[in-house]
Amino acid sequence: MKHSPNSSRIFTRYDINIEVARPKIRDISEDKLLQKVADCVVKGDEEAIESAVKEALKTRSPLKVTNEGLIAGMKEVSRLWDEGIYFLPQVILSSDTMIAGIDLCEDKMGKAVKKKPKVVTHTAEGDIHDIGQVIVNALLNAAGFDVINLGADVPVDEVVEACKLHNPVMLTGTALMTTTMTAFPKIAEKLKELGLNIPFVCGGGAVSEEYVTSFDLGIWGKEASQAPGMAEDALNGLSWWEMRTKWNG
Amino acid sequence: MKLSSSMAYGSSAEMMFGFARKPVETKQGLTIGGGYVIPEIVPHPRPGSEKTIKTLLREFERANFDALERCVMVGHPHLVVENEHVYQMTANPGWGGEIAAQSVRQTLEFKDKYGLKSAYRSTIADIRKPDMVNLRDSEPTSKVLESFNECAKYSDIISIESLGGKEISDYSLIRNDITGLLFAQAVLGGRDMEWLWSQIVKIAKKHDCIAGGDTDCAQANTAMFMAGGFLSKDIPHTLAALSRAISAGRTLVAYECGATGPGKDCAYENPVIKAITGVPISAEGKTSACAHPDLCGNVMGAVCDLWSNEAVEYNNMFGGSTSAVFAEMLGYDTAAMNSAISLGYQKEYQACLVNSDRYRGPHGFMLCPDNAWLIGKAVVDNNESMYTRARAAADKCGKLMLGDPLLRMTAFEKESLLSYMKEMQSLPDKEEDFIDLCLSKYGKVKGFKPASYGL
Repeated sequence: MKHSPNSSRIFTRYDINIEVARPKIRDISEDKLLQKVADCVVKGDEEAIESAVKEALKTRSPLKVTNEGLIAGMKEVSRLWDEGIYFLPQVILSSDTMIAGIDLCEDKMGKAVKKKPKVVTHTAEGDIHDIGQVIVNALLNAAGFDVINLGADVPVDEVVEACKLHNPVMLTGTALMTTTMTAFPKIAEKLKELGLNIPFVCGGGAVSEEYVTSFDLGIWGKEASQAPGMAEDALNGLSWWEMRTKWNG
Repeated sequence: MKLSSSMAYGSSAEMMFGFARKPVETKQGLTIGGGYVIPEIVPHPRPGSEKTIKTLLREFERANFDALERCVMVGHPHLVVENEHVYQMTANPGWGGEIAAQSVRQTLEFKDKYGLKSAYRSTIADIRKPDMVNLRDSEPTSKVLESFNECAKYSDIISIESLGGKEISDYSLIRNDITGLLFAQAVLGGRDMEWLWSQIVKIAKKHDCIAGGDTDCAQANTAMFMAGGFLSKDIPHTLAALSRAISAGRTLVAYECGATGPGKDCAYENPVIKAITGVPISAEGKTSACAHPDLCGNVMGAVCDLWSNEAVEYNNMFGGSTSAVFAEMLGYDTAAMNSAISLGYQKEYQACLVNSDRYRGPHGFMLCPDNAWLIGKAVVDNNESMYTRARAAADKCGKLMLGDPLLRMTAFEKESLLSYMKEMQSLPDKEEDFIDLCLSKYGKVKGFKPASYGL
C-alpha cells in the first residue's frame, strides 16, 4: 500500500504543535523533610510516602506534615493540572499518595484531619457507567472536600435521603445514557419540596446543558475537572442559580 | 476452550472491506462479508421513552421504520438494524423480546413490499456491574441470559458489550497502570467472556440465530474516549492504544467459544479479530461522531463488512429523523466502498481510508490493516494463556508505535509509553504468577470479587 509522504493537508497535530517545554516543578518548602513529603505527593509516589511521612513525623507535628507537606504538595499538583502540564492519572496518583499520607498523620493525631464540607456524589439510577463519578470523587478528594460517594445505579429516594442526612454544599449526578438522566429532575424536584436548595451538578456522556438547565437546582458540568471549582463556589455561598449563571451559558 | 493459534489471512494485503474469509448468511439472505459492505444503523431511544414497554415499542417502531424507509427512498439495497438495549430492556427481558419481534416484522414487511434485504441485531445490555454483583450468580446475570433467550427467538443476530474486568480497568486506567489493564481486560475480561459466551452460543444455536460477537467497549473504548482528541489531558493516547491491543485477545474469546460474527461495531479491535479469525466485522468511524469523536474516522472502514454509526438518539433534523439521516449517510459510505469493489479500485480506496488516519494518532496507526495483522500475529504466536497473548499484543503495539518516526507523540505520551514497555518487561512470564501478583496488588480494589471470574 502506498503511504502519503506529506500529511499536512490530511490532518494537523495541534497538540504537538503547541507543546512547550514543561516548566520545572516548584519547590514547596524550605524544610527538607516536608519537601520530601511534598515531592512524593507531586510525583504520586505512594510507595515512598510512608517512609517520608514517618520520618517527618518524628520531629514535626502531624498537622504541620499534613498542611505544609501533603496538602501543599497537592496544591502544586492542582497548579500543574490547571496549567495543562499534568494529565489526569498524575493527579489521581498524587491524590492517592496524599490520602495515604494523611491516614498516617491521622493515626498519629488520633483523630481525623478537618476537611472541607461534604459533597454527595452519585451515578443515576439504572446507569452503571460510573468512571466519570470516580474521577469527580478523586478530584474533590484532592481538593480537600469530604466526599460522600453513593456509587452507581442509585435510586432517586436514596440520593434525596443522603442529602437530608449529610446536608452537603453540593450534589453531583453522573449519567452516560440519556435514558437514565431522567432521574435528575426527579431528584431536584424532591429536594426542592424539602426546601433543600442544594446546587446539583449533572454531567457525563449524553447529558446536555439544555437538559440540565431545564430544571431548578440543575447546573451542567461539562467536564469532571470542573467539579472542585464548582464545589468551591458552593462553599463560598453561591446559590444554584448563581452557579448556573457562572458555569453555564 | 482452545486459544487461537493461526491467522485467517496470510498477510494484511489479503484483507479488504466487504470480504471475510468466513462470511455469515442471515435469514433474509444477506451475506455479511460476502463481497460487499452493508450499512448498520443503530438508533437510540429518547429520554422518557424507557418508562414503559408501550412507549419503547413505539419509539423503536418509528426509529427502525424511518431507517428502512429511507433506504428505499434513496435506493440503498440492504441494511442491518441494530437496537442496543437500554437498561430497562434487559432488566425486563420480555421487553427486549417484544421489541425484537416487532423489529423483525418491520424488516420482513420492507422485504415483502420493496424487496429490501435487511437483518436485525439485538445487543443485550450487560447489567451485571462487576463491583456490585457476582458476575456468574446474581439476579442481573439471570436477566441477561433470559434476555438473550427472548431476543434470539426473533433476532437475526445477538451480541453484547460485556463488562468483565471493568472494576479493575476503571481503577487502573486513571492511574496509568498497564499491569492493571492487562489483568482486567485479558485475565478477568477473558474469563468472564468464556463463561458468558459459551452460554450465548448455545442460546443462539437453540433459536437458529447468529451469535454475533462482543466488544471491549467497557474498557478499551473507555480508554479511547478518555484519551479523546488533541486537547484532552485525561489519559495518554499511547495507553489507550495499548488497551486496544490488549482488548483483541479478550474479544477473541467470543469467537473461540463459537460466535461467528459479525463482530460488534464499537469493537475498534475488530481489524485484529478479522485478521485472526476471518469472521465478518462491523466497524464505525466518521459516522459515529454523533456518539463520540475518535481519531480514526476513515481507517476503520478499511476492512469492515458492516459500517455503523455507534448510536444516534432518535430526534428530528432538517433532513428527517436521525435514524433516517444516518441510514442514508451510512448507505452512501458503503455505496462508495461497493463501487470501488465493483470497479476493481478497492485497494486504492482502502489506501485512501488508511492514509487519512494512519498518523493522526496512535489508535488510527495501530488499527491500520498491516499493524492490526502484526498485532494479531503476536496474539496467536503467544497463545499459552489469555495473559501471555495480551501482553505480547501490547508489546508489539508499543514497538510498532516507537518504531515508526512518522507517528508523532507528545513528550508525556512517549515517556508514558516507554514506561509501560519497561513495566511489561518486568512482569512474570507465566499467567499463574501474574494472577498471584495481581490478586495481591488489586485485591483491595472496591468491589473486586475474584469468584466472579472463577479465581
